Amino acid sequence: MTSLTIHRPIGPAIERRSRAALGPVVGLLVLLAGWEAAGRLLTEAFVLAAPSEVARYLAAEWALMGRALGVTLTNAAAGFVIGNLAAVLLAAVALVWPRSEGVITGLALLVFCLPLVATGPILRVLFGPGPGPQITLAALAVYYTTLIPLLIGLRAAPQSWFDLVRSYGRGRLSTLVHVRAMASLPYLFAGLQIAAPAAFLGAMVGEFTGAQRGMGVLTVRAIRALDVEMTWAIATLATLVSVAVYLAIGAVARRVLLDEPPVILSAPAVTGRRRRRDGWIDASLVLALALGGWAGALWLFDLNPFFAKGPHDVVEALFLAPDAAATRATIGAALAETAIFLIPGYLAGLLAGAALAMLLILVPVLAGTAMPVAIALRSVPIVTTAPLVVLLIGRGALGTIVLVAVMVFFPTFVACLQGLRQAPGQVMSVLDSYAAGPLTRLVRVRIPAMLPAFFAAARMAVPASVLAVTVVEWLATGAGIGSLMALSASLSDYDVLWASVVLVAALSALGYVLVGRVERRVLAIYAPEQLA
Amino acid sequence: MERDVTPPPDVSCTALAKTFEGGTRAVDPIDLTFEEGQTTALVGPSGCGKSTLLRMVAGLDTPTSGTVEIGGAPPVSTLRQAGLSMAFQDPSLLPWRTVRGNIELALKLARHRADPAEIDQLIALVGLDGFAETRPAELSGGMRQRAAIARALATRPGLLLLDEPFGAVDELTRRQLSQDLPRIWEARGTTAILVTHSVSEAVQLSDRVIVLSPRPATIMDDITIDLPRPRAGPAARSDAATALTDRVFAALSKGMAERSAPMAAQ
Ligand SMILES: Nc1ncnc2c1ncn2[C@@H]1O[C@H](COP(=O)(O)OP(=O)(O)OP(=O)(O)O)[C@@H](O)[C@H]1O
Ligand SMILES: [Mg+2]
Repeated sequence: MTSLTIHRPIGPAIERRSRAALGPVVGLLVLLAGWEAAGRLLTEAFVLAAPSEVARYLAAEWALMGRALGVTLTNAAAGFVIGNLAAVLLAAVALVWPRSEGVITGLALLVFCLPLVATGPILRVLFGPGPGPQITLAALAVYYTTLIPLLIGLRAAPQSWFDLVRSYGRGRLSTLVHVRAMASLPYLFAGLQIAAPAAFLGAMVGEFTGAQRGMGVLTVRAIRALDVEMTWAIATLATLVSVAVYLAIGAVARRVLLDEPPVILSAPAVTGRRRRRDGWIDASLVLALALGGWAGALWLFDLNPFFAKGPHDVVEALFLAPDAAATRATIGAALAETAIFLIPGYLAGLLAGAALAMLLILVPVLAGTAMPVAIALRSVPIVTTAPLVVLLIGRGALGTIVLVAVMVFFPTFVACLQGLRQAPGQVMSVLDSYAAGPLTRLVRVRIPAMLPAFFAAARMAVPASVLAVTVVEWLATGAGIGSLMALSASLSDYDVLWASVVLVAALSALGYVLVGRVERRVLAIYAPEQLA
Repeated sequence: MERDVTPPPDVSCTALAKTFEGGTRAVDPIDLTFEEGQTTALVGPSGCGKSTLLRMVAGLDTPTSGTVEIGGAPPVSTLRQAGLSMAFQDPSLLPWRTVRGNIELALKLARHRADPAEIDQLIALVGLDGFAETRPAELSGGMRQRAAIARALATRPGLLLLDEPFGAVDELTRRQLSQDLPRIWEARGTTAILVTHSVSEAVQLSDRVIVLSPRPATIMDDITIDLPRPRAGPAARSDAATALTDRVFAALSKGMAERSAPMAAQ
C-alpha cells in the first residue's frame, strides 16, 4: 500500500467556512495596518512603500502594469497547461507500467532541480526572443508538484473499491474510469492549486532573461533604477494575482468535489515495498536516461557546439581541459559561497515553520486566524520579493539568508500545522481521559503526528530554497553560484554555465534524496505506519 | 445490454488453501461444496480466514493450492458474466456517489439495465427510504452496510457472497433485515454464502452452517439446518433451534480448545 501524507482539512464544513471567512480578513487587516505604519515611519529611508503609495502608483501606472501583467499571465497560463498535461501523461505511464514509476519520478525530480536561473538564459539562446523560455520555465515549475500528488491520488483508494469493480468482472479500464480518476481528483486539484502561483513565478523568471515585455522585465527595470514604489507595486501585484489564482482554483475544486481539496504535504520519500536493488537500478537508469537524453537532444536539434555543451564537454571542462582546475576552483568557490547562505536559511526556515506551528497549536484561536493567511501567503511568488528583501536588509549575507528562510518557512509552517491538527482524535481522547495537559499532548501525540508533514515539506523545500538563493544572488547580491551562472551566461562562458547547471541540479536532487533518507530513519521510529 | 438472470450455481472447493506472502496460513486445505440454491453460513472466530475463503470463492484472491469451481467452471468465467455479487466486510461504497449512484454503478458494471422503480424498492427494503440521494459520508455505519447489501442484491446474481453483512447494524434492525432480505434471494433461488459472527443469525438464516476452527481455518462441523420457515419470532426459540444453536457453539468451542492447547504447551 502507498502511504499518504496528504490530509483533508478536518472539522465540520460549516465551522470551517465561517472561520475561513473571518480568519483571512482579520489577518489581512493586521498585515495592512502594520505595513502602512511601517511605510509611514520609513518614508525617509527609501526602502518601503506603504500600501497607500502602492495603490497610488498602481493607479497611475496601470496602463504599463496591466499590459505587463497580461503578458505574464498569458505565458504562465500556457506553461501551466503544458506542464500539467505532461504531469498527467507521466502519471498515466507510471500507472499503466508501474515498474517505470521510480525512473519517472527520478527523472522528473532531476529536471525539476535544474536551476531556473541558468536554464533561463540557455532557453533564451535556444528559443531566441519571444515567449518560448517563459512558457517552458512556467511548465517546468509546475509539473513536478502536480505529478507527485497525482501519483498518490491514482492509488489513493482502498483495495476493496478495486475488488468491487473486479467482482463484477471488470478490469483496469473500469477501475481507472470509475475509481482511480475520481479518487485522484482532490489530489489533482491540490496539485493545481500549488502549481498556479508556481507557473506565474516560472514565467516571471523566464522574463528576467531578455524578454521584451512582462512583469519580470519590469522587475529587472525596477531593481536597476532602485525604484522603491515600483518594486513594491510589482511585488504586491504578483502576490495578489497568485493568491487570487490559488483561491479561484480552490473555488472550482469545491464546486467539483464534495469536500475541500486536501492540503498537500507532498509524497513520502519512497512508496512502500520497494526493494533496495530496485532503487539502485532505478537510480542508474535515471542517470543513463538523463545523460542519453541530454546528448540525444543536442544531436537531434543540431545545436551550435559553441553554445550547446554535451555531457562529454562538461566532463572535459571539469576534469580534462588544461584549465580544468581553475574551472573547478571557480565553481567550487561559488558553490561554497552559496552554501553559506543556503544552509542556514534553509534550516532557519524549517525550524521557524515548525516552531511557530507548535506554538500556534497551543493557542487554537490564533491558529484559526493564521492558518488561512499562511496558506495564501505560501502561494506568494516569494522570489519576486527578492529585491525588496535586499532593499530592506541590504546586500549582505543576512538578506539572502532571510529570503531563503522565508521561502522555506511558509510551506513548512502550513504543512506542520496541518500535521499537528490531524493528530488522531482517538489517541487524543485517551490522553484526555488521563487529564494530560496541552504540553504532554503536544510532545506525545502531536509532534509524532507532525513529523511526516514536516519532512515532506523539508524535502520539497530543497529545490525551492535553491531557486530562491540563486535568484537573489543573480538579481541582487552578485555573489555565489547564482551570480556565476548569470555572469557566465552573459560572458558566453558556456563551459562554466553548463557545468554549474549540472552540479546545482545534482546537488539539489541529492539534498532531496538525503532529506528523504533522514525522513525514513525518523519515521521508522515515530510513525512506522507511514512507511508501510 | 440486458442479460438473463444467471442460474444459481453450486460452488465446490477442492483442497483449497491459502498462505499469505508473509507466511500467515489463513486457510488449510478445505474440501467443501455449497449446494445450488442453498444459503450456507460460515461461522468461526475472528481472524480465522472466513473473508479469505470468501474472496477465493469470488476469484479475488488466488489460492495457494487447490481449486474453486462455480457451476463447474473457474470463478473467472462467473466474474466475466457478472454472475456473482459480493457485499464486502467494509461497505466499500464510493464516497462521491449517492446510495442510488452506488447501486447504479454496480448495475452498469454488471451490464444490467437500471430500473429506477426496482432500485427504489431495494432501497426501501433495506430501510433506507429517504436516503437514496444521500452520500455515504452522511450515513451511519449500519446504514452504509445496508446500502452495500442493496447494491449486492441489485444485480440479481446467481451467487451471492455476504461478508458479515449485518455487522454494524443494531439488534432490532438486524432482526428485521434477517427476516426480509433472505426472502429476496430465496425467491430468486440464489446460492448464498454468508459469513457471520452471530450463531443465532446463522441458524435463523441458513440451510446449512459450516463451523470453522481458529486460523488456519479447517472445518469443525457441518450442520444442516432443517427447521421450518419462517424461523423468526417464537420459532427461533423452539427446542430444535436451540439444539442446533448449541451444536454450533459446541463446535466453535471445540475448535478454540484444540487450537489453544498447543499454544499453551509452548
Ligand atoms: N492481505 C493479507 N496479507 C496477509 N495476511 C492476511 C491478509 N488478509 C488476511 N490476512 C490474515 O489472514 C488471516 C485470516 O484473515 P481473514 O480476513 O480471512 O479473517 P476473518 O475470518 O474474515 O476475520 P474477521 O471475522 O475478523 O473478519 C488473518 O490472520 C489475517 O491477518
Ligand atoms: Mg472477515
